[in-house]
Amino acid sequence: LIEPESNPLREGLEQERVPDSSCLVIFGASGDLTMRKLLPGLYSLAHDGLLPSGQSIIGVARTEYTDDQFRAAMKDACNKFARRRPVDDAIWENFAKGLFYVQGSFDDPDAYERVKKKAEECDRDRGAGGRRIYYLAVAPSFFSVVSEMLAKSEMVNDPETDAPYTRAIIEKPFGRDLASARELNKIVVHTFRERQVFRIDHYLGKETVQNLLVLRFGNGIFEPFWNRQYIDHVQLTVAETVGVENRAGYFETSGIARDIVQNHLLQLVSLVAMEPPVEFEANAVRDEKVKVLKALREFPKGCDDTVAVRGQYVEGSVLGEKSAAYRKEPNVNPQSDVDTYAAMKVFIDNWRWADVPFYLRAGKRMPKRVTDISIHFRTAPYPLFQKSGVKIHANVLAIRIQPDEGISLKFDSKVPGPSLKTAPVTMEFRYATSFGAEPPEAYERLLLETMLGDSTLFARRDEVETAWEWIDPLLQCWESDTKNEPHFYPAGSWGPEAADQLLERDGRRWRRP
Amino acid sequence: LKAGEAERATAGEDVAVDYSTIEKSLAQLWRSENEQAEGAVIRAALWNVVAHTSSPALQTHAAETLSKAAVLVPQRTIVIRSEPDSQSEMTAWISANCHMLGGKKQVCSEEVTIVAGGDHIHQVAPLVSALLLPDMPVAMWWVGDLPNEHEAYIETLLESADRLIVDSSYFDRAADFALVARIARQTATAPADLNWVRLEEWRMATAALFDPANVRARLRGIRKVSITAVAGENAFGDATEAFLYAAWLSAQLGHNVSDEGKVEGAAGPIGHELRVEKRDQRSGSLAEIAILFDDGSTATLLRDEDRQVINTSIDGATQTFDLVTRMQSRRIDDLIVRQLKRVHADPVFMKVLPIVSRIAGGFAA
Repeated sequence: LIEPESNPLREGLEQERVPDSSCLVIFGASGDLTMRKLLPGLYSLAHDGLLPSGQSIIGVARTEYTDDQFRAAMKDACNKFARRRPVDDAIWENFAKGLFYVQGSFDDPDAYERVKKKAEECDRDRGAGGRRIYYLAVAPSFFSVVSEMLAKSEMVNDPETDAPYTRAIIEKPFGRDLASARELNKIVVHTFRERQVFRIDHYLGKETVQNLLVLRFGNGIFEPFWNRQYIDHVQLTVAETVGVENRAGYFETSGIARDIVQNHLLQLVSLVAMEPPVEFEANAVRDEKVKVLKALREFPKGCDDTVAVRGQYVEGSVLGEKSAAYRKEPNVNPQSDVDTYAAMKVFIDNWRWADVPFYLRAGKRMPKRVTDISIHFRTAPYPLFQKSGVKIHANVLAIRIQPDEGISLKFDSKVPGPSLKTAPVTMEFRYATSFGAEPPEAYERLLLETMLGDSTLFARRDEVETAWEWIDPLLQCWESDTKNEPHFYPAGSWGPEAADQLLERDGRRWRRP
Repeated sequence: LKAGEAERATAGEDVAVDYSTIEKSLAQLWRSENEQAEGAVIRAALWNVVAHTSSPALQTHAAETLSKAAVLVPQRTIVIRSEPDSQSEMTAWISANCHMLGGKKQVCSEEVTIVAGGDHIHQVAPLVSALLLPDMPVAMWWVGDLPNEHEAYIETLLESADRLIVDSSYFDRAADFALVARIARQTATAPADLNWVRLEEWRMATAALFDPANVRARLRGIRKVSITAVAGENAFGDATEAFLYAAWLSAQLGHNVSDEGKVEGAAGPIGHELRVEKRDQRSGSLAEIAILFDDGSTATLLRDEDRQVINTSIDGATQTFDLVTRMQSRRIDDLIVRQLKRVHADPVFMKVLPIVSRIAGGFAA
């Protein structure tokens, strides 16, 4: 890492933090993730002057490509998906000089030898200095073979020595339950030390998610109210309009609780509920997040609808288009009981949040795509205006993660006129209105943080395992419950009635995000 | 406002108002607009931007520039035209800069224009002060060269300003830099220079060249810096970007710069060579930089006008890479936006300011 003081000319530039050049090896280089996110992200970083000079990228996959064919395919991908598109030829020309391809299968030792040789050429010719980042853009079933082969080929340096760094980036799903997550972690840490592993949850790369920390800990007014004394409850919604698209094979074995709740939603819960870290440093932040996950109250035995509701969409219409039932989607079992919707009431048993319910919901084929957190405050302690027939509403602080990112605060105001009438009004902050420019893609930020060696925005092993430990009993209960089907809801609605009742029983209702 | 004037104002047209009721007219404008658009209009402001101009041409230039900038940095814009030699009177107009957000809502910023002549120019500062949005920072954009003899007038206008934005390419003498440096030193207003923003791509390209540790070591052995700028109409102004570059290198590398502009580094005196040449390129901007080291090697930064990039290379025994840095837009509204996106004063520019006036003074002498 080049500290600003070590290159005095970097001081004050937006690109104050530029990592040392390295060799990034992407396993699964012909896949969707590489084409849509990784290469376009790396190119946009290069365009903005955030990639170090001499950065090398080696793609590895089974597809037959020469270096030039790989470059051409990646240029097409960048033209389609990069934030900085269309591709700028002058920048691309320089960027592509560091782009290489090695064809081979993941279990072929010769392929690793070829990768090793190419990486050593990058050390010699492009100043990679022996620094390696392995991006495992492959299915988890390949993690074991790739990491074993890397170790066997002596391509992993021990971070306890003075040798140049080796880092590994892995993608979710980090297992499908606690046992498989532990197994996966065992495999990964057999080759890499924990501090070499960067587990990507792309939600953490989003500007608005990072802004949660700034909102809470960078302002003086919110934190004093951020507790059970002032907060009545919290709602978190991750809604998608899409169905399973071409992921039916994966989704049939996972469901939305595994796909969204266990990772993205619990990451949001931990950021909303965590205590202030002692410093803004990777382990200090993650220690506090883990404490929240450890304080999550266990689910009661049995799949009780008063605590958690699973749903599945049936025929309906989304955004004016007819939509088929989940069970009629291609490659889906016609009797499938997989959850495409999950809602749950969660408690965090600690001093700050005792008895404050967190209502979580995630669903597919919802009316609109939105990720939203709302903090519902308690109403005023004394109904001063009651005699005038004035209805007091609770204040709500809403944090919109995507799209139309922003924050709004709802409060009551007197309606102008001779009588005392009130109406709820909102104060709004929107990123697009205030800051205009589009924020960088989550992957750009996360790739850069890996190169810089900062793991604050990545999930740590204990975070992943603690999250599984908490949700596993519920998932097992749902899977073993063969008597009850999921609650059905029409595509294009906000979920099944049972999810509404989850809040109605507490005298509350879902906020319409 | 009379019937139809609110619509004309939100369509970007200037509507004449009495200068004593500007705020009231603006409130009326938004009330009327909200009634008609049923809440689909959002007013937004992150800054108060006050543009000071001294001629109708500069006033038009400032208004057009800030209406474009307001799309990316919402602001209350106040454009002043101050003409001490004109007839003593004061007039005001209001309008709105609106743009669609996501095809649904219209985001609008307000623009106020005040034209003052004769004695009325002394009423401008208190009027502007009353029109500033509370809790929003204030940027004063001084359009054109600084007035050489009216320092007190500038100071009055700057009383409520958090930032003074100048464009040193308009400067005609080293004392202009000295005045800006004095403002930085003696007032709470932080100066900023659009020419400094123009320099950012050259700073980026230079910094990237010295990222590898083995190349960075050569920074201690700089013996000579040759800068070529493109000549235009204003001989001093055309050289100011080059002065800023030289001052930046010295500020960041801890060189000793004497009052006469002589530069001394760790390895001895450092020569500066500045050429302002006629070229088929935009005047005032840098065209080429060569940094000579004590081992005989040279770092070169060369602007490629056709491809709009800066190509960078360095020779010598150690391994290096050619670099390409994308040149950024030099449109004034983009420079203003980049300046306003910076929430706080630029500490590096503050370090550079006292040095640049000495370097510029040395060259001028």
